Amino acid sequence: MSAEFRVIGQPRPQLEGPAKVSGQAAYTHDITLPDMLYGAILRSPYPHARIRSVDLAKALTMPGVVAAVAGTDFPNLKYVNAGPVFADRHAMARDKVRFIGEEVAAVAAETLAEAQAALAVIAVDYVPLPAVFEVEAALGADAPEIHEKPDLPRNVAQQSVSDFGDVEQAFADADHVFDATFEHGIVAPVCLETNGVLARYDTENDDLTLWAPTQAPFFVRKEIAHVLDLPLEKVHIRSVVIGGGFGGKSQAPEPIAIAAMLAIKAGRPVKILLDRQAEFLSGKTDHAKKMRVRSAVAADGTLLGRHTEFWVDNGAYTHMGPAYISAVRQRTCNLYRVGAAGFDGKLVHTNKVSGGSYRGMGSPQIIWAIETQIDEIAERLGKDKLEYRIAIANRSGDRTPQGWEIGTCALAECLEEAGRRIGWAEKKHAMPPNRGIGFASMINPSVGVLYAEGNFACVSIDLLEDGGLRVGTQSADCGTSQNTVMGQFVAEELGLDTDVIDVLHMDTDETPPDLGSAASRVTFVSGNAAIKTAKTFRAELVNRLARHWEVPAAEINFADGIASYKDDNARRLTLAEIAVLEGPFRVEDRYDIDLPRPDPKTGYGHYAATYGFGAQAVEVEIDPATGHVTVHKVVVVQDIGRVINPLALEGQMQGGIVQGIGMALREELIFDQGAPVNASLISYKAPRIMDTPRIETVFIETNDPAGPYGAKAGGEHSINPTPAAIANAVAQATGERFRKLPITAADILQATKDKAPLDLKPWKRPYNLEVATARALYPAVLFPGLRKLGAAVGRKPKPKSDYHYVRPRDLSDALRELAMPDRKTKVMAGGTDLQVGLRQGVYDAGMVVDIASLDELRGIEITEDKITIGGAMTIAEIVEREDIRAMHPMLSEGFAKIATAQIRNVATIAGDLSQEKRCWFFRSGAQCYKAGGVSCPCYAVLGDNRHHSILGAGRCAAPCVADAAPILTALEATIIVAGPTGERRIAMRDFYVWSGETTVAPTEIIRAAEIPRESCFNTQYFAKSAGWDGDFADASVAVKLGWNGSRLATANIALGAVSPLPMRARQAENFLLASDLSEVAIRIAASKSVEGALPLSSNAHKTNLLVNLTERAIRRCIAQ
Amino acid sequence: MAKIQIHVNGLKHDTDCDPATPLAVFLREEMNLRGTKIGCGNGECGACTVAMSGRAVCSCLVPLGRTVGHHIETIESLGGPDDLHPIQRKLVERGAFQCGFCTPGVVMSLITLLRRNPKPTDTDIRVALQGNLCRCSGYVKLLETISEIVREGLHER
Repeated sequence: MSAEFRVIGQPRPQLEGPAKVSGQAAYTHDITLPDMLYGAILRSPYPHARIRSVDLAKALTMPGVVAAVAGTDFPNLKYVNAGPVFADRHAMARDKVRFIGEEVAAVAAETLAEAQAALAVIAVDYVPLPAVFEVEAALGADAPEIHEKPDLPRNVAQQSVSDFGDVEQAFADADHVFDATFEHGIVAPVCLETNGVLARYDTENDDLTLWAPTQAPFFVRKEIAHVLDLPLEKVHIRSVVIGGGFGGKSQAPEPIAIAAMLAIKAGRPVKILLDRQAEFLSGKTDHAKKMRVRSAVAADGTLLGRHTEFWVDNGAYTHMGPAYISAVRQRTCNLYRVGAAGFDGKLVHTNKVSGGSYRGMGSPQIIWAIETQIDEIAERLGKDKLEYRIAIANRSGDRTPQGWEIGTCALAECLEEAGRRIGWAEKKHAMPPNRGIGFASMINPSVGVLYAEGNFACVSIDLLEDGGLRVGTQSADCGTSQNTVMGQFVAEELGLDTDVIDVLHMDTDETPPDLGSAASRVTFVSGNAAIKTAKTFRAELVNRLARHWEVPAAEINFADGIASYKDDNARRLTLAEIAVLEGPFRVEDRYDIDLPRPDPKTGYGHYAATYGFGAQAVEVEIDPATGHVTVHKVVVVQDIGRVINPLALEGQMQGGIVQGIGMALREELIFDQGAPVNASLISYKAPRIMDTPRIETVFIETNDPAGPYGAKAGGEHSINPTPAAIANAVAQATGERFRKLPITAADILQATKDKAPLDLKPWKRPYNLEVATARALYPAVLFPGLRKLGAAVGRKPKPKSDYHYVRPRDLSDALRELAMPDRKTKVMAGGTDLQVGLRQGVYDAGMVVDIASLDELRGIEITEDKITIGGAMTIAEIVEREDIRAMHPMLSEGFAKIATAQIRNVATIAGDLSQEKRCWFFRSGAQCYKAGGVSCPCYAVLGDNRHHSILGAGRCAAPCVADAAPILTALEATIIVAGPTGERRIAMRDFYVWSGETTVAPTEIIRAAEIPRESCFNTQYFAKSAGWDGDFADASVAVKLGWNGSRLATANIALGAVSPLPMRARQAENFLLASDLSEVAIRIAASKSVEGALPLSSNAHKTNLLVNLTERAIRRCIAQ
Repeated sequence: MAKIQIHVNGLKHDTDCDPATPLAVFLREEMNLRGTKIGCGNGECGACTVAMSGRAVCSCLVPLGRTVGHHIETIESLGGPDDLHPIQRKLVERGAFQCGFCTPGVVMSLITLLRRNPKPTDTDIRVALQGNLCRCSGYVKLLETISEIVREGLHER
């Protein structure tokens, strides 16, 4: 790092670090006010419906309720969001709801429980309307009309079509044309802190004060003042600590206006916090897209032209969809040197949650599409994929088809360095099987000109009484260290150390306007403003002293916090002394991006003061048995202009890359008729610490003349090339191109399985014919019929939050509690499933009996012939027993794969066996067969059934995912159950009954599991494949082989997570016993594990997965 | 309702709260120990991790009634912003977290790990922290910092 700087380029820990790490930082969740009420929001259960009326009268009479509001209580005004022409959403639904989860009414009450209880009695008269969930269907002539937008085609919110240069000619001149269509689903920001707000309305002055985690207080203030029809100066946003943003907090989240209106009505402060499910249901997301990318290529590889036709799924309302249109346009026209470029993009409404913004604003996915094609061009032309990219890289002095004038640009160097660091030259000719390396690049404006209000930033500097400086910025630090970086700019400019500088963010009273933290703009725009303000501060300070000292200002020196005039000791003051002399004072200044605006319709024109470039190289390995991708190493080389704070910048790179891994391989919100079914942090699979690869971060400093100290933007740049580089690496490893993100393990398994087709004989199970017939009748007859019937007569799932909790003294006390008639009582062991399930409505109980601490259920006893494990022994306690590991390694190793450390410390063996089955329809409150009874349908038959049963499913396709089930089945355990009339013993094979229920009666308690000790030598292995390490299994198999010398004497193979109950694979066992244990025999035996399988529409990969896992487990047992 | 005696950060408190109340809610609302965060309420994110008799648990899934006889330690049992525990100081210095919402839970998972296993391997660390979801950092600096903490024996001070 250059010695020319004092603090620029230095690693500076974040200012808020000590408060955060000690738990003292005040997030919105943590702030309370005296007399505060709790708000709760009623959400639409319909994806599309007319609202005839909302009746709040009864809710207002409920205990504790102080205020209630519905859509018509708000002014008839719409959020502006991306601009007045796009405005289409009220503060709360008025006459129509357009997605499941839309806000319909809200209540403020003394307690949260009272507010929630009051929601239940609000009567909403809905008239359901036909809904549309897919973009293609929404564009159909007979599609339901979601909004009336007369100037645009049906359900189109925006259309952007243009050619820059002669695109047609480019394709006519091309030697090669590449044409492919790419799709990706919806990613959610998943901030650890959910959205929330605390609103206070001061009725005396009509002042509304808001505490809310927002990336853009400026924007929120403007929107809230607008939709509530309040004067802007009456809306005040206060500073809070923010628990993550990533775009998810960049617009005005709906709870803010709702809490404000409740506070106005109630005359008391109101706090609303979204729970995780509501956050998924209503929090705005990334946008899904479909992109047809065409490239016109000359024989030498020159990109003559590129065209993208694309469709952006806007969801129900327009928030930042237009920015997604723009992002595709920009990548199409500017990524690599391309002769001419054209695009035809539509932003299309569907009845799903509205898209908002997420890190990269859709760039990572269009880059993935383009970079996939770049790989394919290199392959077809016989070029090295890295050298080809270097040859076509953007360079300084280029003018792109969109009119961007490229200033500093180190893309070619970035690519070269990425190639060196990943070892491309050495590895490319010696790639081991199942391994691959991929490359991708990115280009991003380091903040372009937006609309008038976004093209500037203001910063204030206060000299405080104690001589410290306080920098004020209205942009909001969501954890990125931008406050720290702002302090560094000011410190550098004034020749100070950062420790005398404090930074206040967000506060709209105390800090001057700034659009906020979005589009990676803060370092560049607000940073330039900070430098400018620091210069102004210095001038003000010097001028004040010049007056005071009666000397020329130009001759006053200010350095190291001391102002002095020549060698005059009488004219020499520290900042603290200046503060005493002059009193505290404040300066403000403003930085404007001084560029002409591009054409607002087509986006043509030079757009940003500078452009950021970077390249990534990724090495992956595929497990061919499971399709699981391990990212071994990521190299990011970023042209960053100048590194201001390497600690913060590396963090931005690493965090974005790991989010990119999630986007590439796992993350997607799954919808069923408009309802997200994986609205939880188990089934929405954000990356965990096990997924973190080695990441090498390299910065190339091009010292951009426009940037603050030469810096370019960074926040979103990191995620931009990651999915593309991973996809290209996966393509090399598998030999397959995937045109849909995420590329899941299931996709990889499904794509590669055709090379080794399975000989499925589903008809070996007599009832399969019946099941297949029923499934064939599902779409037209059974599903709609049963759905209607179920709605009329079926049980409805009842989420429960209030139940009695009993902690019995001993086992007989517990059994007495269970035996009491007329009480819906549930036994709670660890409670990790029960408590969640009660809230989800999958369990129905008015009382829980906590058996976790009962002495009779604790302890492990080992005798000569058996191990007896108390039912309330936790998974962790069992895993830690070395003696058990020595006898039954499968038990220890398998149990170690259950959930996470925190859950294993609480969850018990009895609870694992007894947990409810996993099905995301059932768990998200669908009135399905399992929840509602025989009159209801199974939602998995027609829905996304990737996790469901492939074997033995009838009316219910939910699998039994307890890992203990196959393990204890293979070990031939016996479950000992205590009941009112004494104990009984249940062999594992009889423990589960049809449809995954256990044979334990409601009045009984699992006292212990008894596992025989083996008399002869045996080997064991438990193989499991799951979405993430700790997730519920997609398939698992427990194998125990008993040996008589080298002869196989017994074979126990038990299957998990593929059927409603754990099954022994008898045919596989018998085949193995009779075989010579050759390679071929093992494979055949393994393939018999799926004999009789009848997969659903999207889980055929599980048959291969199961066979592969069985093969692997048998091999491991034989190898031992 | 019978009183429950709860033992938190070395002090005993009597409460007549509903024993079904999740410990996380009790700590935050009744004891004003707001360092324990709630990110999901379902045991899926680990933000609410506390130590219960030395073991890391998701306090959102522990009913208050079950804590009887156990000692609960929260993030507040370590240092405050001005007198950080050496582990906390190192996490700040190395930029091991960003938004900080997951951090108290991460620290409690880490402390319980290091007390039981003072020389954890990289895999031990990952296994112990798999239940702590962090969306900001990509875990890279966290892993590097923990290795440094272990190497320097900061947890033994």
